[in-house]
Amino acid sequence: MNHLAELPAPVALLASALVLAGAFLSLAGSFGLLRLRTFYDRLHAPTIATSMGISCVLLASMVVFTALQSRLVIHEVLVGALVVLTTPVTLMLVARTALHRDRLENNPGVPRAAAPDETAEHPEAARPEGPPA
Amino acid sequence: MPDALYLSTAIGLPYLGALVTALLPANARRLESWLAGAVALLTLTMVWLCYYPTIAEGGVVRAEIAWVPQLGLNLVLRLDGLASVFAVMVAGIGLLVVLYARYYMSSDDPIPRFFAFLLAFMGSMMGLVLSGNLIQLVFFWELTSLFSFLLIGYWQHSAQARDGARMALTVTASGGLALLAGVLLLGHIVGSYDLDRVLASGDVIRAHPLYLPALVLVLLGALTKSAQFPFHFWLPHAMAAPTPVSAYLHSATLVKAGIFLMARLWPVMAGTDAWFWILGSAGMITLLLGAYVAIFQHDMKGLLAYSTISHLGLITVLLSLNSPLAMVAAIFHTMNHATFKASLFMAAGIIDHETGTRDIRRLSGLNATMPFTARLAMVAAAAMAGVPLLNGFISKEMFITETLSASTAPTLLHSLLPLGAALASIFAVAYSLRFIHGAFFGPTTGDMPHTPHEPPQWMRLPVEVLVFGCMVVGILPAATIGPFLDVAVRSVLGEATPYYSLAVWHGFNLPLVMSLIALAGGALLYRLLQRHLNAGIDGTPLLRRLDGRRLFDRVMVFLSWRFARTLERLLGTSRLQTQLRLMVCVTILAAVLALAPHDFGLGVLQLSPADPVIGLVWLAGSLCALAAAYQAKYHRLAALVLLGGAGLAVCITFVWFSAPDLAVTQLLVEVVTTVLLLLGLRWMPKRLELAGSGRLLSRLRRYRDFAIALGAGLGLTAISYATMTRVSPEGISRFFLERAYTEGGGTNVVNVILVDFRGFDTFGEITVLCIVALTVFALLRRFRPAPESIGVPDQQQGDVRNWMMVPAVTMKLLFPLIGVVAVYLLLRGHDLPGGGFAGGLMLAIAILLQYMAGGTRWVEDHLRVHPLRWMSAGLLLAGGTGLAAMAFGQPFLTSYFAYADLGWLGKLPVASALIFDIGVFALVFGATVLMLIAIAHQSVRSQRAAPTPPPAPQEER
Repeated sequence: MNHLAELPAPVALLASALVLAGAFLSLAGSFGLLRLRTFYDRLHAPTIATSMGISCVLLASMVVFTALQSRLVIHEVLVGALVVLTTPVTLMLVARTALHRDRLENNPGVPRAAAPDETAEHPEAARPEGPPA
Repeated sequence: MPDALYLSTAIGLPYLGALVTALLPANARRLESWLAGAVALLTLTMVWLCYYPTIAEGGVVRAEIAWVPQLGLNLVLRLDGLASVFAVMVAGIGLLVVLYARYYMSSDDPIPRFFAFLLAFMGSMMGLVLSGNLIQLVFFWELTSLFSFLLIGYWQHSAQARDGARMALTVTASGGLALLAGVLLLGHIVGSYDLDRVLASGDVIRAHPLYLPALVLVLLGALTKSAQFPFHFWLPHAMAAPTPVSAYLHSATLVKAGIFLMARLWPVMAGTDAWFWILGSAGMITLLLGAYVAIFQHDMKGLLAYSTISHLGLITVLLSLNSPLAMVAAIFHTMNHATFKASLFMAAGIIDHETGTRDIRRLSGLNATMPFTARLAMVAAAAMAGVPLLNGFISKEMFITETLSASTAPTLLHSLLPLGAALASIFAVAYSLRFIHGAFFGPTTGDMPHTPHEPPQWMRLPVEVLVFGCMVVGILPAATIGPFLDVAVRSVLGEATPYYSLAVWHGFNLPLVMSLIALAGGALLYRLLQRHLNAGIDGTPLLRRLDGRRLFDRVMVFLSWRFARTLERLLGTSRLQTQLRLMVCVTILAAVLALAPHDFGLGVLQLSPADPVIGLVWLAGSLCALAAAYQAKYHRLAALVLLGGAGLAVCITFVWFSAPDLAVTQLLVEVVTTVLLLLGLRWMPKRLELAGSGRLLSRLRRYRDFAIALGAGLGLTAISYATMTRVSPEGISRFFLERAYTEGGGTNVVNVILVDFRGFDTFGEITVLCIVALTVFALLRRFRPAPESIGVPDQQQGDVRNWMMVPAVTMKLLFPLIGVVAVYLLLRGHDLPGGGFAGGLMLAIAILLQYMAGGTRWVEDHLRVHPLRWMSAGLLLAGGTGLAAMAFGQPFLTSYFAYADLGWLGKLPVASALIFDIGVFALVFGATVLMLIAIAHQSVRSQRAAPTPPPAPQEER
């Protein structure tokens, strides 16, 4: 095809295996998203894709480019770090939002707020400074 | 070439003087009047210098300054006999008026403004009479309208002055527009706007089918300016101006501009029946009406105003007669009228100044208290009445002679001419008598606000000069005014100049008899009207209902209020949906019209095989887009999220087809717009699906919108498809690819194009971005949310505050990292994907995250971004880079590149385009953050709801 053809066979095999593993893990994550029942359960599924799956693909990338350029290429570590840093934060926000909504709508099966703080009685006093959205 | 210098000085000097005067301090009265006087005197000298050697021989002085020669538009200055007579009047009477105003204007009035306007008006008048090009003439014509507006409205605090000024401007400037149209027609007929060529093609003009429209339009301009019936009503209202202004505008300049134009074009446009009928009837009515109304005016200036109208009518009648002798009389009477009317206005001003009133009913016996002024005014008024041995008599006699000789023609108007002339002369004598008798005779104990006394000697000097002129010309016409009149007449009539005699005594003939009858009749009429006039009744008998002002007001109210409102109601909309719909429809129409004449078809290029992977991405993207459109009405948030999906699909497409620059930009733009829209959504009122939403009518509307959207989308698809299935012609892409490194110093061709090859385009684009950001900021500053979206939304109630803890820490920690990446993107942009635009957006996202993490107050306590400074710095930097290239003698925005030696760090390729890119960076960052801050601040300020809109007609859902 192109310069990938110059890759030595063992490296190529290793990289392919890693990419396939990553793809499989991502697929599993997506499948889980489809199969799991409640919203809170579903939150768990995509994490497989973003942690394990991406890690595998990034490893493969490191292997390939290290071999191709004959030097250590580890830019991908940065990508991994950022993904690992941001994904949980996002999911945390999503989960919190869902929880908030369920509590507002008094849906059953939702735990009550940990510390029933006084602001609940005075919603006006709790006006947040956070972004409106 | 001294002539050119003299001529351009004659026009430029007054403007320069106006500029200097306007900058002088308000209390430098003496300096200002000296300056204005010196300017007027110098202008007069310039005209004289031109006049003496050439014009007196019958020649023409011409100076041409090329401007747009391709369009035949040059600044042509042309001085011939006629122009020189008018120029001398403008500058000479201007000089006297300046001297007079020096003593007339009160120390409370802002003097610099007065003299500045007066000089600027003088310059415009000079420009008008010295124009050698018709377009140029119209330009100066409108300038005189403008400056006369400013002069008439000089006492801004008085409503009368404001109204009068506005009326004068409306009438004369609209006439000017008609004149412009007429001149364009003339230019079309002749093929040139050059006055010499126009004057040489009289036969062509008169024979052309467009002659009549051109004539009507040109005369519309002339008649409005010269206050001819039915446009005469603005002139009396312009009397609210200070008296020096009236003396200047209504004797020698503004109203004479119309006469000048008619005389100027007389050789080429006159000589037809249309000319006679239009001008003859308008002039005759004006002559009689003005004179009749003047008798019943109680205000001295009002009397003079109507008499001015009447005299202008007289000149117009003379011009209409199509006879060379009448032309001579017209020019002669124009000069005479300028002298006696200016002196009369000044005398009225002196009386007003020294007694405190201009009301003839209150004035009395001034002959005893201010004898000198009274004598001067009496002589001038006698000249106005046409008393023998004064200049008015000679020209009036010529007028009567002309009407008598014209009356042999068979038409009714022709035969009525002598009768009208006699009647008008009787009226003229009557109102002149009224002026003299009412003010100067009678008991000395009138009820005047001040005790009258003689004015300062210098204030009287201009009047003395003018009255002296009246008498000298009246007694020795041929020896004094003769040569000048001859030059002026010859410049208009050329070979056709008739023999005429300027003399007081022509023997005992019919005109003399008529003059004597007029004198006696006028005195008799005044005697008969004595009782009516003494009763002090306002208004004109028989003509009380003829109120031009009321008619004018009605027309203005109709045009500017009712008509405009109706038009706006019928054609305008404030609804965004309608505007958007119209915009899309017009775009579709434009595209169709542009493509229709060409053979639009799909290209014949062999399509590459379908790729399932990118196909899937596109499928997902299209589904997202469709779903977004479907959800956009009631679920905006969902629609926005889906739009993000579509945007990501586009981004992946760019990556797939190896356009990393586009992909990066697309990604960043997607992020920024989504977040900004999300922030804005909070303030949108909720839209609920009600029972009525699905009615047939609103469904139909949605279908129509759907059809429009479908048309636009499919059209764009078709165009894209047709373009992409063709071999692109050998364009400039190869050029860019080849030259990017050798000439732009960068290997990222996209960036080199943006900041170097097409730097000017980019400069324009960032300027637009700047404007957009400022507009958003301005709109949001006064934003009022709908009442239902003022309260704190559900999402922000409860224990929200604690949730943001972890995300906030992460976002704050990421800030430096994102900043570094932004700078990295900027710096590498010239050689690798990135650039100022992407970098700026990236940095804006960093700030965006901080606002999300900490809230507006927290961010602004810790970090002040000054978006306006960023934007201005960016724009200045980008523009400055371009200008720097000019400093090195290169065209604007030429870039330069070299390798900077950084010592042990190695060599760094540096292009001046980088500085430009930094400007782009700063501007994009500033603009984005400005919009962000404008929205973010909505949540920290106290909101007031917008007033409930009035129930709209059921057009929109």
